[in-house]
Amino acid sequence: MARIVTITSGKGGVGKTTTTANLGAALALQGHKTVVFDGDIGLRNLDIVMGLESRIVYDAVDVIEGRCKLKQALIRDKRAEKLSLLPTAQSRDKSAISPQQMQQICNELATEFDFVLIDSPAGIEQGFRNSLAPATEVLVVVNPEVSSVRDADRVIGLIESSGKGPAKLVINRLVPMRVKRQEMLSADDIVEILSTEIIGIVPEDESILAASNRGQPVSFAGKSPAAEAYRDIARRMTGETVPIRVPQDGETIWSRIFGGGR
Amino acid sequence: MSRWTKLFSGESTSSAGSAKQRLQFVLVHDRNEIPPGMLELIKDDVIAVISRRIHIDRANVEVHVTHEASEGKLVVDIPLLLSEEPVSGRTTGRTTGRTQTPRA
Ligand SMILES: Nc1ncnc2c1ncn2[C@@H]1O[C@H](COP(=O)(O)OP(=O)(O)OP(=O)(O)O)[C@@H](O)[C@H]1O
Ligand SMILES: [Mg+2]
Repeated sequence: MARIVTITSGKGGVGKTTTTANLGAALALQGHKTVVFDGDIGLRNLDIVMGLESRIVYDAVDVIEGRCKLKQALIRDKRAEKLSLLPTAQSRDKSAISPQQMQQICNELATEFDFVLIDSPAGIEQGFRNSLAPATEVLVVVNPEVSSVRDADRVIGLIESSGKGPAKLVINRLVPMRVKRQEMLSADDIVEILSTEIIGIVPEDESILAASNRGQPVSFAGKSPAAEAYRDIARRMTGETVPIRVPQDGETIWSRIFGGGR
Repeated sequence: MSRWTKLFSGESTSSAGSAKQRLQFVLVHDRNEIPPGMLELIKDDVIAVISRRIHIDRANVEVHVTHEASEGKLVVDIPLLLSEEPVSGRTTGRTTGRTQTPRA
């Protein structure tokens, strides 16, 4: 049975779209038929982060309103044959889709794909509820920062009370050096505060910016620390036992030179 | 393209440059509410319609959207081909450009 994984956070800008794109790429390259579905109607970004924006003709709202078939709205990623994108509408608002319609689309996607990853919008309003409705599991992206952790707690509660829990944590943008200097919450701190299981830690990584500039998520290629972290998360999602690695400041002169594209 | 070839070709493909180009492209489409991929379909339609009448250089037809002074425009650029043979059905209307007029 297909797994429908919603990626959410409460607070905005913590890395939901980056995480969706990279887990999508990693899962597909590891052999799983995967579709990444943009749940952020009116503010779509998954397309541009993945570099697929120029190929959009139809979107999920066109499917719902009967202007095209689901197949016509799906964009196959030429870099990974098992990866597709389902874009959402840019010139509409959240009310263009209901939770039931999200469920319908996901039911249809579930017949074709092993994984449906939904990039939820920030907040706890309709866009969030739409993205949560079809989920069979939920990942909460959190930054090591007070407002993000607080919002994550609220969202984890909402996920629990809607029967979609327990959520799992992706700690994003951790800076090992600052944790060591006790200037930043550690992964252990966050897990303890939220008492929620963790599925991976993604370090702050400068190659992420170059990757979204180019529309080439780091998980497609390259050995940047974030790319490795996302690949590990993808393996854990499919049941492999990959110990959680706390990123260290292992940056050498070589990883600086050859690490990530500029 | 590797960093070395980039260095020697002098081409500007910095990631910031690529971000700027992609944004300019996508924002024109956002503002005009035309999905980018739609242009390929429009292009196919235009080629089909125009080449019923005149010879065109199908491979080099360009369709894009511009947005200047808060006005959107669909810009279609169709290079014409010189040809000996008139297109069948090209009996009405006059041709322009450097294509030959049909011989009687
Ligand atoms: N591990 C990381 N290292 C460095 N930068 C990162 C990392 N993860 C995300 N970013 C940057 O953080 C910013 C926000 O990321 P992203 O758009 O994925 O967040 P989001 O949660 O989807 O935002 P929104 O709530 O607006 O949808 C982007 O500029 C992205 O490049
Ligand atoms: Mg986002």
